[in-house]
Amino acid sequence: MKADAVRGHLDGLLLAVLEQGPLHGYAIITAVQRRSGGALDLRTGTIYPALNRLERQGLLSSDWESIGERRRRCYQLTDAGRAALAGKRADWRAFTSAIGAVLDPATPGNATPGNAT
Amino acid sequence: MSARALRAEGARGGTGAGGADDAVLAYRARLADLLQGPPKARARLVEEIGDGFADTVAALRGAGWETADAVRRAEREFGTPEELAPGCQRELTIAQARHTARAVALTAPLLLACWYPLRNADPARDGWLPHLAQWLALGLAGVAAVAALGAVWALGSTGRVSRWLPVPRGLPGAVGWLGTTASGAMAGSALALTLVAALATHWPLVALAGLASAACHAWVASSARACRRCARLPAPA
Repeated sequence: MKADAVRGHLDGLLLAVLEQGPLHGYAIITAVQRRSGGALDLRTGTIYPALNRLERQGLLSSDWESIGERRRRCYQLTDAGRAALAGKRADWRAFTSAIGAVLDPATPGNATPGNAT
Repeated sequence: MSARALRAEGARGGTGAGGADDAVLAYRARLADLLQGPPKARARLVEEIGDGFADTVAALRGAGWETADAVRRAEREFGTPEELAPGCQRELTIAQARHTARAVALTAPLLLACWYPLRNADPARDGWLPHLAQWLALGLAGVAAVAALGAVWALGSTGRVSRWLPVPRGLPGAVGWLGTTASGAMAGSALALTLVAALATHWPLVALAGLASAACHAWVASSARACRRCARLPAPA
């Protein structure tokens, strides 16, 4: 998947992998790659300024922790981050449902959003 | 750690773990060279990204890649310092703008407090000069108060509000000029207070206010200069 397409969803991806608990930067990268099956074409270093931004916005909090012999900055979701993730999931479902209904109307489950019950 | 220290450590061979450590230190030094912003925020970002790059190299070496190939491949997957710098700089520029806005918001009320002893000072000699200085200081305090309001707005719009409203591209530059204006007002105020202190009967209090005003000017001016410099750097499209 192209980097430009991924960039628009980067915040949601980062929030989603942190849902299970705190992770440091590289663990977040591997979690995103593992969940996506390596399909996302993303310069993985770009997640660090994104994590900084999400922290500034109050969606994440972070702290230095000792992991093994090294000191790592670990990030975790705040309550606002959980709420934002729920919102992004709802938006994504609505979006894929609408696009799916147009691209592939014969597939069950791709009901027209306006007619969905 | 500064870029110079990173380069020096790299030249010494890092921690002795071989070429991979040297490559990681060189990577961190290249990134640090490209970034400007508050020293603490910059150091934190460089350290985190350096750690992530080191982990990527280590993972590739663990998968059987030769060190030089692992480093090349890691740069391709992770991104070169030149590729990552614009995104990092955008965050550091906002961090610098917040730093400057915080400095203005904290010092401008102090300037208003400094104006209070000046208003109540009793110039020992009659004449137009002490009164002119008093009016000048009052005007400058007004400028600082307006700057403080702008600074509070900038702090708000770059914080949690930016979840819904993206930070305007020109905001860091505007904060830089706001800080410069406030620091100019503080410098003028310090001069006015010094002048009145020389003429007032209760001069120690007025002189102290002048010193405080000069100290605020130094703090805000340096932060505002750094903010304007950051705002001029390229940011991602």
